[in-house]
Amino acid sequence: MTLKDVSVSEILRPEDDGSSPGLAEAAQIRYLSPDNTVFTLTEGHMLNVKTGDKEHAGVYVHCSFPHTNKRIYLSIRTVENEEIGMIRSLDEFPEETQRMLEEQVELRYFAPEISKVLSVKEEFGYSYWDAETTSGRCRFTVRGGGASVKLMTASRLLIVDVDGNRFIIPHLDRLSDKEYKMVEVCM
Amino acid sequence: MDTLPKAIMNALEQHGVASDSVLCWLLCDRALENGFRDTYVLLTREELLILSHDQAPAREKTYSGYAANAPLKGLSSKEEANWELEALKVRDIDSLSIVNLVASGMVVIKTPEERAVAAFTNGGMRSAASLAKIFEKLKKSEELSPEELQHDQERAACPKCGMIYPEEGRQVCPKCMKKHAVFGRLLSFAGKYKVSMFWIVLFMLLNSAAGLVIPYFQGTLLFDQALGGKGTFAGQIGLVIGLIIAFRTLSLLFGVIFGVINAKMAANIAFDLKSSVFHAMQRLSLSFFEKKQTGQLMTRINNDATELQYFFVDGISYFVVNAMNIIGIVTVLLIMDWKLTLLCLLPLPFVFLLVRKVFPKLWRLSIRRHKRVSAMNAIISDTIRGTRVVKAFGKEQMENARFQRASGAFSDAEQSFNKMGVTLFPVLNILTQIGGILIWAFGGWKVMQGDFTFGKVMTFMNYMLMLYGPIQFMNNIMNWWSYCMSAAQRIFEIHDAVPDVVEKPNAMQLTEVRGEIRISNVTFGYEPNKAILKGVSLHARPGQMIGVVGHSGAGKSTLVNLIPRLYDVNEGEIRIDGIAIKDVSMASLRTHIGIVSQDVYVMSGSIAENIAYADPDCTLADLVHAAKVAGAHDFIEKLPDGYDTIVGTGGHNLSGGEKQRLSIARAILHNPKILILDEATASLDTKTELQIQEALDTLIKGRTTIAIAHRLSTLRNADYLVVLEHGKIVEEGTHEQLLAKEGAYYDLVKKHDEALKMNEVITA
Repeated sequence: MTLKDVSVSEILRPEDDGSSPGLAEAAQIRYLSPDNTVFTLTEGHMLNVKTGDKEHAGVYVHCSFPHTNKRIYLSIRTVENEEIGMIRSLDEFPEETQRMLEEQVELRYFAPEISKVLSVKEEFGYSYWDAETTSGRCRFTVRGGGASVKLMTASRLLIVDVDGNRFIIPHLDRLSDKEYKMVEVCM
Repeated sequence: MDTLPKAIMNALEQHGVASDSVLCWLLCDRALENGFRDTYVLLTREELLILSHDQAPAREKTYSGYAANAPLKGLSSKEEANWELEALKVRDIDSLSIVNLVASGMVVIKTPEERAVAAFTNGGMRSAASLAKIFEKLKKSEELSPEELQHDQERAACPKCGMIYPEEGRQVCPKCMKKHAVFGRLLSFAGKYKVSMFWIVLFMLLNSAAGLVIPYFQGTLLFDQALGGKGTFAGQIGLVIGLIIAFRTLSLLFGVIFGVINAKMAANIAFDLKSSVFHAMQRLSLSFFEKKQTGQLMTRINNDATELQYFFVDGISYFVVNAMNIIGIVTVLLIMDWKLTLLCLLPLPFVFLLVRKVFPKLWRLSIRRHKRVSAMNAIISDTIRGTRVVKAFGKEQMENARFQRASGAFSDAEQSFNKMGVTLFPVLNILTQIGGILIWAFGGWKVMQGDFTFGKVMTFMNYMLMLYGPIQFMNNIMNWWSYCMSAAQRIFEIHDAVPDVVEKPNAMQLTEVRGEIRISNVTFGYEPNKAILKGVSLHARPGQMIGVVGHSGAGKSTLVNLIPRLYDVNEGEIRIDGIAIKDVSMASLRTHIGIVSQDVYVMSGSIAENIAYADPDCTLADLVHAAKVAGAHDFIEKLPDGYDTIVGTGGHNLSGGEKQRLSIARAILHNPKILILDEATASLDTKTELQIQEALDTLIKGRTTIAIAHRLSTLRNADYLVVLEHGKIVEEGTHEQLLAKEGAYYDLVKKHDEALKMNEVITA
């Protein structure tokens, strides 16, 4: 059953962190807080984490809700995908750590955000996109058929190109009429 | 290997590195922060070279595949960049790995501290995987094969025009798929039906020619001559009416003849198209069907074939006839009175303009409406199929709200579509009618002046009416054309797809087989840098049973799928009786291999046909015996229709155990030397499993068997067991040896026993 058209606020209440006690015990998630965790960035751009007396080198930050909120419920994982712990919200951490972790999130979830759609040309099962993005002007190819252009929330559009590269239109409703018409045909 | 860009060659030379010493290289197009900045990672036999520059990130990026023939630009200011070289000795680096990020990858080295060297977008994954592999081989001082070094970073290109395909692994060239090329190919398809087409067009032309004279009879002859009492047909009303009837009948007759020929050709073309697509599909490899986008293609095949049928049947012939009609009518009108003709064609440019401008809008609105109605239907079907869930959680209100939203959205879309429609069409109507009004006005005035006869005005009017049909057709033709061409393109895509697993041109026939299987050092992954199997080796002697155990996702099924060559290994090889399976014809290889897997597919047809699927010419005695051995005979005999019971879609429903027994019977009858049991009993309850197990025990006698099982009890007869973990064999030996080792297998057995005990407690 798709819940796409249920607004996220209905299923997710980030401000409400009081989970049911029985459930929390059963889940056994280890939450990381500034009191028990220290993040450091090595010279080689790798993130290390020290929690309790255990130190892990080369860890990665995974977002639980990469489309709805990148700052909450971050999972810190090793390259073998073992969870070291979760961060409830970045706001709990000092600013410097926040920045460090945000950079790691950006590294992992790199997806240029489209600020202006210049042209979308559809031809023979592919659409060719030309757009201004947060990382400069990008031209890319998207497979037709609608599966590669997905509405992730009511107004956030994810576009996946033929190689799997991702692009985001963060606010579909802020596109101009002309842009929206070009995009809509591919949705 | 691709040639390095000139700027990079120069940079290397400046730093005293000979560019021909580079074994392989990777362009990392992402900065570790945000944005695009190029870093080259190059590998020579002794060193890992990192070429980077400190310019601001590029403000422009063209991903591979874009417009396909546009030059790929990684960095706009590549020439001017001041490249800095960092050289690391291979012996100082412990490892080089590629970390998968979301939609990109990162090169990480260990020296021994981990370091992120550079990141690249997804297009570089294949090159990155090959860089990591070559590095590993260098590290182990292993020999590098020429194929590994020749690894092409370039994508495959279209053999016809040399253009690079927009998408890897999907060899479709949009350029060669251009509309006229597709059209040409479609016509060649119709070549077989040239004669039919000729007759169809001829009769259509005769049909309209016969129709074309009728307005003249009805107007000028009837009113001016017969009724007006002037000219050849003065007073001869009967004759004129007779002529009208005769030409109408003639026109009708031609119409019927062309219809009959057309109907025959339509069916033939649809048949040809569908069977050619089906045929083309059958020769493709399994991976083609597993790719998501092709799944969509499949469901469209039927529609597309129908679409093309219209192209041949209605399209080509109607196009010719309508074009002739337009030319014919306009000529007649011009000859009759060119001034009046031009006058009543006056509104036509406006009609065209309006259609050009407004129709695309209307089309977009209709797409939106279509999407919204699908969304709404999805919710309806969700709620009905998921009604148990909705009710169980008491979420009726939420479903109502969800439906309200979708329904509201649809209603909005419907409204704007209809508003546009109800405005556009009357305006179009008026515009086209203006032509008629002009004839009445101008013609009427001329009649009063005495320049025109009433009959002439009538003739004019009738011709005018005849003109609008063909013009409307021509108006819609662009839409219809692109629709047809897209359908054709999808069909040709399947025609042109190249199977991944290809038979060698002079492949050997595998006749007699003893059943020895040797898998040596096999590495395989469905995607680059995501190896499912890593260096797996296995040896099964003829008649042996090998058990493969491991957690789900360890690569067990993948391993057995490689033996019948459903996929090709990336590295290493598989030999049967000492012959590499790559050298053997696929059909002969697969006659010696039988697979019984967890999900059994029952084809539509009788039970007998299903059992005899692999060997339709078997004797009835063999069929019954196979069913008996498989333990299927008894339940089949109980069915009122016995072996003739129709199963599959719409037929008798078989239980999971019954289906499994059918598939075992199928395998027994197939009588392969090599048997693969892929979780054959996993989906069955314990009691049924025991019964099936007996059948399987009979089946494996005298065959080399590779069995995968979740339930370790299934493997109690195995001569030898291997434990797979994360794509690697971590343990092997007999049951006793492995238990004594107290390793991974021991743990699995312990967990299995605990689960069994738990089961007993629950069922007790």
